[in-house]
Formats: sequence, C-alpha cells, structure tokens
Amino acid sequence: MKTIEILRIDSLNRSPLIVEGYLFEGSEPTAPSVAIVGAMEGETILPLYTASKLVDFLRHSLDDESKIVGNILVIPSVNHYALNINQRFWPLDKTDINTMFPGYGEGETTQRIAKKLFDALQGYTHGIILETREGISTCIPYIKLFESGYEDLKSAKKFGYRLIHHKSLKPTDTVSLQYNWQLWGTKAYSIICPSDTNIDLNTSNEVFDGIVNFLSKNKIIRYKVLSGYQSTIVKNRDIEIIKTSKSGIFIPTKKIGTTIKKDEMIGKVIHSLEGKVTHRIFSPCDGLIACIYKNGLIFENAVAFRVIKSG
Amino acid sequence: MQITEIFSSQLPVGEKLTIKKGRFEPKEKKPDTKRISIVSGTHGDELEGQYVIYLLSSWLNENPDAINGIVDLYPAVNSLGIDTITRGFPIYEVDLNRTFPGAKHDYLPGQLVHALAEDVKGSDIAIDIHSSNIFLKEIPQIRINKEFSPSTLPLAKKLNCDFIWIHDAVTVLEATFSHTMNEMGTKTLVVEMGVGMTLTQAYGRQLLSGILNLLKSEGIITTDEEFEQREPFSSEVGDVFYINSPSAGLFVQSITHCAIIKKGDVIGTIVDPLSGKIHHTIYAPSGGILFTLREFPVVYEGSLIARIFGESHENN
Repeated sequence: MKTIEILRIDSLNRSPLIVEGYLFEGSEPTAPSVAIVGAMEGETILPLYTASKLVDFLRHSLDDESKIVGNILVIPSVNHYALNINQRFWPLDKTDINTMFPGYGEGETTQRIAKKLFDALQGYTHGIILETREGISTCIPYIKLFESGYEDLKSAKKFGYRLIHHKSLKPTDTVSLQYNWQLWGTKAYSIICPSDTNIDLNTSNEVFDGIVNFLSKNKIIRYKVLSGYQSTIVKNRDIEIIKTSKSGIFIPTKKIGTTIKKDEMIGKVIHSLEGKVTHRIFSPCDGLIACIYKNGLIFENAVAFRVIKSG
Repeated sequence: MQITEIFSSQLPVGEKLTIKKGRFEPKEKKPDTKRISIVSGTHGDELEGQYVIYLLSSWLNENPDAINGIVDLYPAVNSLGIDTITRGFPIYEVDLNRTFPGAKHDYLPGQLVHALAEDVKGSDIAIDIHSSNIFLKEIPQIRINKEFSPSTLPLAKKLNCDFIWIHDAVTVLEATFSHTMNEMGTKTLVVEMGVGMTLTQAYGRQLLSGILNLLKSEGIITTDEEFEQREPFSSEVGDVFYINSPSAGLFVQSITHCAIIKKGDVIGTIVDPLSGKIHHTIYAPSGGILFTLREFPVVYEGSLIARIFGESHENN
C-alpha cells in the first residue's frame, strides 16, 4: 500500500488540510480498477467510517497481497476541516465540494479542491462515492445513479443493496462528482449512507459488505462473499412521498427498512407545547420505508417518509 | 397596499414561517395592466434588497396616483434566514436560489420556492435583488444570461446600474429564480450590489432611481419626476478578469472599491499576522473598473479577491 498526497490547502491559523489516498496496487495490470471517495462533507460519519474500515480491510484482512487483483484507491476524507468542527460544508464560505466538479484550478478554493481530487480520480474503471442524503432525513443504504446516459445499472446491482434509485438529473447534479466522473469515462456510483452521526454497526456492515461484494464480483479482489440482495431499480414514480400536515414533535413508529401495509400507522406528530397527538401518519400504500425525517421537530408539510411502493 | 401571505408553514414550536407579498395596484385595472415583481432576500445574509424595497414602497405610498400598473414586492423570500443571519434555508442548509422551480411535493425549501415562482408567474418583469455575500462587495450591476439577453438587456439599461454582465448559459444556473422565471415568460433581471449583512444606502438610492425609471418607461407609474439613468459598462465590449488569492492569509485592501485602476496597480496584500510578513502583493492584471472587491479578510488559496472589467485580452 502506498499513501499518496491528493491535495494540500493551507489555512491562516489551522493546520494545513492534507488529503491523502491509500493506493493498493493490484497484481494484474489489466484488471479493472476502482477509486473510492469517502467524506466530502462534514457530518458524513458513515462514509468516513466505511472508507477507513476498507483501508484496514485491504491492508490486514486479505491474507495474501495477490488477492488484490486490480488497483484500488481509497480516499477516506476530503473535507477534514468540516468534519473536525461538525459542519456540513466548506467551513469558510459554506460551499459544497460535491457541487464543484469537474473543478477549476484557477478558481475558488473548493473549485481547486475539486480539480485536484478529480485529477487524482482519472483512469479508474469504477468510481464509488460515499454520500449521505441532502435534507433532513436518513435512509437505508442504497445506490443513487443519475439518468445521465452514461450510467451502468447492471454493474450497480453487484453491490447487492436492496435499492438502486435511478434518478432523473437536475441542473445542480451536473456539477456533482458522479455525473462528471461518468462523463470522463469512469463507471461511477453513489452509495447513499444513513446520515446518522453515531455508528450503527449493523448498518455500517451492510454498507461495507456491499463494497466488498462489488470488488469481488468485478474481480478487483479475490475474496469469497455472501451474495446480497437482487437490487430493485426504483424510479421517482415508484416513491410515495408522505408529508405531515402538522408541525411539532415527530415520532416515527416504524423504522427505516420496514415493510409496511396500506393504512398502517407509521408515525405521529405531537403538539410541542400541549403534548397531544395532532396528527397520525398512515401509509397510503404497501411498500418499504426507505427514508425517514430524522429530527425530533418537524415542519408543517415537511416530508416525513419516503416509501418505495410495492404491490 | 395589500399584504398577503404567499407561503406559510407552522413551525414546530409556537411560530409560523410566512413569506409575505406587498401589492400596489392602480385604482382601475385593465386587462393589459402591466405587472412587475421585485424580489429580495432569497439569501438570508443579503439585506440590500430589503432597503431598496423599503424605499420603493415608501415612494409608492407617497405617490398613489402615479400607479398605473401592479407592483408586487417580496422583500424577504428566505424570511427565516434573514432573521437568523443564515444564508441558506435554516436547518436544511440549502441555497434557495439553486432550488427552483421546486414542486408542491418537494421538500420544504422546494415547496417554498415553488410557491414564489407560482405567485410571480404572469408578471411582465421581475427583478431579483442580491447583495453578493459577506465576502465580496459589488458595485450595482445587472447579471444577464445571454440566452435571455435580447429581451432583458434593454430593461437592464434603464436600471441606473454601473455594469451589465452578460454571461453564458450554465446548466447549474437553471435552478435559479431568474432562469425559472425567464423560462416562464417573465423578463427577469438579477441585480447584485453591496455586501452581505449590511446596507449600502447610496447603492440603495441609486437602484431605487433605476427601478422608478424602469417603471416610468414601462408605464407602470406616471410622473413628471425625472430619474437618473446611468450609462452602464457592458461586458459585451470587454473582459472580466478574476483575481484569486494565491495563498492563505489576511487580505488587506490597498484600493477603494469601484475604482478605475491601471494595470499593475496594487489591489492589496496577503499578510501573515504572526510573522509580520507579506506573503503576496496583489497587482491588477488589467486596467479597467474594479467592480468586485473582497471585504472579508480571511482568505484561503483560491478565495476571490477582486474582479475587474477591462479590455479584452487573449491571456485572460
């Protein structure tokens, strides 16, 4: 394993931001390769943990170096500055690095970070980005693939997660790493991780096992795995959005990943000052709870649940 | 003036989030009565538009008989952000001006911008007033997407601003208010002026004259009063030069904002307080007008220091 410096940014008073990648050189030069990007934002603890766990796995758990067949680059964190102060975006100007691609070497700070990162990510067969959802919700682990015309749905199934969200492209997605990486010839996938700030070992194992599945099935590593799910491809029309008609204290009564029936109660809202139940949330369809609003206080008309419809 | 709520959402604990609109209209409306919408405060740290709308509202209150058209005022789109010094939509941390057009079943910021777009829809003209951010100070200027410039440039010239910046179409900007409204058929202009979290009163009065000038020329107001109309510089006949910091440090200005400068003039220095040394001296790469200057002194490599509008140069 080699440690390589991807980029360095100095600060007026903080230690320099030094982003490093861990490069595991494969035994077969013609084998497919992969680069994995962890936390581009602060508050993305599971992406950070999963990527660092992968570094440890590749270093210590494969008993023979020849079991690493293709090149693997892991960059666990790009945004230490935000992680260390529990902020989501670049701490000075609050810009999101994942909206700066393909980057610009003569531009603003986060454009320069994106450019240096993007340069280091070129030439890989596959690219994996560990992300969390935007907004105030958490979810089961799933793959997000943009309908860009470059996406590879078949390969995305090799992670073995329950869902692949095949998502229509918004204007703001055109400056994301996934879209630009695909445009430059790498098969890129975003793994959307639960946005919990504590590590749940079961969930983190699920995210991690999916990556190992993918590496194994693409013959990037030799490692026997247990197969995951036969992923279901989900389009926007397959998602039922369930909002709360009242604001207040939000109590989901079902967990993410739960299969539910139509008319089943899945949550309630409590009047924040008087304690009474002001709203009960019932599922309008059979399905799977994929995402839940994660704060205890909820706005009126906020999206409380996203349910993948079945039946 | 009528005040209405175009969007409301009950917050979790004893408070309501509302987006308000003030409407001035003539005593008698005709089918061809023109309508203009003036929007500000999409970013919670930008307050210059609040002052301009106050001045405009005050003028219209004092001149009710001058009103021939409908003037809709939306001073505080991100009302929760303005009152909490938060640029994005609080809690969600999203830039509302990258969330358009939104949708009824979108997340809350998407619902809010959808409500705004639906309410402004049908206006003949819209003006979206921004004040840069806390980092940069801008002279009063209009930003126009080249795609829509045939219809918006003539209006921009009436707004008494100093600079009109016509930029190429950028996909990511399709999520802005101006792009959304232009697509919907409302001629929409973006004003940038001043600096975040403050009021630059002279700029506010300058833009007020421009808006009244535009209203008069469009027949939305009728008055004998004459309003100033400056001849703006236009990016059609020159280049915009960006000057970014070469290193981290403290930026110390050496020049006045909005100055006409020569190539090689010193714009400022990047210094290190601890060692007492100057890391870099920043020189103007071109002569021209300095229309953007950094106000917030802490910089990283790449932080924008200044923008100059000058003669076209192949090395830019």
